[in-house]
Amino acid sequence: MAAYKVLFLNPELCTGCRTCEMVCSLDKEGECNPAKSRIKVLTLLKDGIDIPAFCQHCEYAPCLDVCPINAVKRNRETGAVEINSEVCIGCRACMLVCPYGALRLDLNRRVMVKCDLCGGDPKCARFCITKALTYERQDVLETKKQYNSYSRFIDPLVKARKAREEVKYVD
Amino acid sequence: MHGWAGRVLDVNLTTGEIKKLPLDMGLAKMFLGGRGLNAITLYRELKANTDPLSPANVLLFGVGPLNGTLSPGSGRYNVTSKSPLTGGFGDANCGGYWGAELKFAGYDQIIIRGKADSPVYLWIDDDDVEIRDASHLWGKATDETDRLIKEELGDPRIHINYIGPAGERLVKVANVMSDLYRAAGRTGMGCVMGSKNLKAIAVRGTRGVKVAHPDALQEHVYESYQTLYSDWFARLFSQQGSACLVEIYNENLGALTFRNNQETFKEPRKMGNISGKAFAEKYLLKHRGCFSCPLHCASFFRFVDPRFGDTYWGKAEFATLTNFSTRVGVDSADFSLYMCMLADKWGIDIISLGGIIAFALECYEKGIISQRDTGGLELTWGNEAAIEKLAEDIAFRKSELGNLLAEGVRRASQQIGRGADRYALHTKGLEHLEVDPRGLQAWGLGFAVSTRGADHLRALPVFEYTITPEKAKAYFGTEKAADRFSVEGKGKMVKWFEELRAFADSLEICKYITRTGLLEPEPALKILNSVTGLSLQEEDAFRIGERIVNVERSFNAREGFTRKDDTLPQRFLEEPVPTGPAKGQVNKLEEMLDQYYETRGWDNNGVPEPGKLKELGLDFIARDMEKI
Repeated sequence: MAAYKVLFLNPELCTGCRTCEMVCSLDKEGECNPAKSRIKVLTLLKDGIDIPAFCQHCEYAPCLDVCPINAVKRNRETGAVEINSEVCIGCRACMLVCPYGALRLDLNRRVMVKCDLCGGDPKCARFCITKALTYERQDVLETKKQYNSYSRFIDPLVKARKAREEVKYVD
Repeated sequence: MHGWAGRVLDVNLTTGEIKKLPLDMGLAKMFLGGRGLNAITLYRELKANTDPLSPANVLLFGVGPLNGTLSPGSGRYNVTSKSPLTGGFGDANCGGYWGAELKFAGYDQIIIRGKADSPVYLWIDDDDVEIRDASHLWGKATDETDRLIKEELGDPRIHINYIGPAGERLVKVANVMSDLYRAAGRTGMGCVMGSKNLKAIAVRGTRGVKVAHPDALQEHVYESYQTLYSDWFARLFSQQGSACLVEIYNENLGALTFRNNQETFKEPRKMGNISGKAFAEKYLLKHRGCFSCPLHCASFFRFVDPRFGDTYWGKAEFATLTNFSTRVGVDSADFSLYMCMLADKWGIDIISLGGIIAFALECYEKGIISQRDTGGLELTWGNEAAIEKLAEDIAFRKSELGNLLAEGVRRASQQIGRGADRYALHTKGLEHLEVDPRGLQAWGLGFAVSTRGADHLRALPVFEYTITPEKAKAYFGTEKAADRFSVEGKGKMVKWFEELRAFADSLEICKYITRTGLLEPEPALKILNSVTGLSLQEEDAFRIGERIVNVERSFNAREGFTRKDDTLPQRFLEEPVPTGPAKGQVNKLEEMLDQYYETRGWDNNGVPEPGKLKELGLDFIARDMEKI
């Protein structure tokens, strides 16, 4: 499962432009409408914070467990947690238990809808110009995260080495 | 219907009547939306010589067919009215999210008529539109208004525009703010809104925008990102925001304002923190973008200065960095950023306010006004405390001088007399921005002929210093057009740019997006055609742009504007630039004006010829112009 890919967020890179909402609703519903997007950017204008809210496709997904009619299934190929709209009864049980608020009621069809990773090519990540949203291998993401986390040690190490070289020159 | 929402919201504040009218699709195809649709609506709605601050004036909010779609930079909207500052055509354009939200609610335009008895705000919740009491909001700063309305309506995700205390007090350079940091800045649209007792318009929309060819739209938008970022300027812009223009205008062009344009250049090493580079390194906290924008030039910044405390705000532009620094003789970027935050909260246009204060400081320097006139303020260049006090006096019409300056530099200089008009840098009553047009001939022409007064965005003829002579020859018939000190070909160049800018303004997409890589209309047309299902060609785009410019020009002609109003301040025409890359230059406007009028098909007084108007399908305006 090394090639397992996930949709992941770096909120510091999100500019709050909501292009993800536009391309999501366009791709899924053929129109541009934030009310129909599976991803929704939460913006705190005053603090300059933007966080897209979307499904994390939890490894142990509570929505999958809680659905009374088994309308929620995991896609074995992409790992996405998907809702079968033919079966869904719109009871909102999944919305109740979701830790990310990632589910929405489609007001026309009266069924719950959510992200399905666009079948393995999420359009939100494709159109995210700053790469705040990325669709990458889980293990590569982990490595990048580790580099970021350890930068506070790495940067001083690099600096210290440069400083030592400068001292040599003085000698 | 694809692209357009197909509805116009018509609100009469005097009677409280609210109507939802179908959008005239004939007009929509001729003018697209936003600036263009507003222009023709204003022309039709108003009679000549209407008092801008009377209930008879209308206030228009317009969006275009691309707003609220995947199209890059499509979050903008246009506010249009007869300007109380210039007495002519007034409009201002604003980013953020409000424009897109209006479209999601299902409207292409709002027409505000009349005047409410007491302060009100408008709440548009899709089809439910309500005029609500705003007496508790009157007097509140813009950020406070945003918070209070969101609390009251109970949804943090609605989008609101509003006026601040300046608009309420009918300060002539008051603006309309939205989403905390975005301004429809110019020509005093906030003053008109204040005159109607309208504090705010809150919008929530869930109807969305229908798209004719969704797959093609995705494809063309993705292409447009690649084109955009193939350009070095866009990459710089995405890193520093428009703050990067400080270096370009100062170091490369010698066109930055210092002390009310007494000078236009300063050694880069003496600029301190006033530069795009310093801003990005020392102030910028996070890149933010307007709706659907890949350029994200809205810089959320923060700094701690013992004088101003912990300061953070969501917008820093070229104008923010320079209006309260170089323009008024201050060396501190901190002060300029702080002042612009205050101006945003008061709801006053920073460009005009900077211009007004620079004017007052120069009058003080030249002995035209003294401490007796300033109420004891020592208005010397760079006196931060005095500048801050004066700005507040203007925004709140507090002191006698503040009250006078709140009328703009043209009226203030007429009142003061004693030769003050020499230092009042305006065209048609609108204050100039912080770019000096002496070393930029086409810019000067653009400022002079702009339909809303001294304004850079109507033409923004960047080709003057960015293209090769070969390209200049191909586009404008002479290689000299690529020389910024030359007047040759500049009439054609300004016309070409004005057409393009009007076209983009009517789609309501951003100037910065269309500044370089996406300047020519082809990418925008591909996107427009995918959204609307139309099949417009390049010549259609230019034709639509030309039509809009002619309507606006005719509006001004009907108000009595002529060639004498297409001018620049004496300083730009007569005083050569003292130092820097543009040393020795003046703007040779007269030589370009005839060239421009002729290219445009206007008479030598700058009035559109009836034949030209008929050719553009504007027969009824042609009849009006025949009477002039």
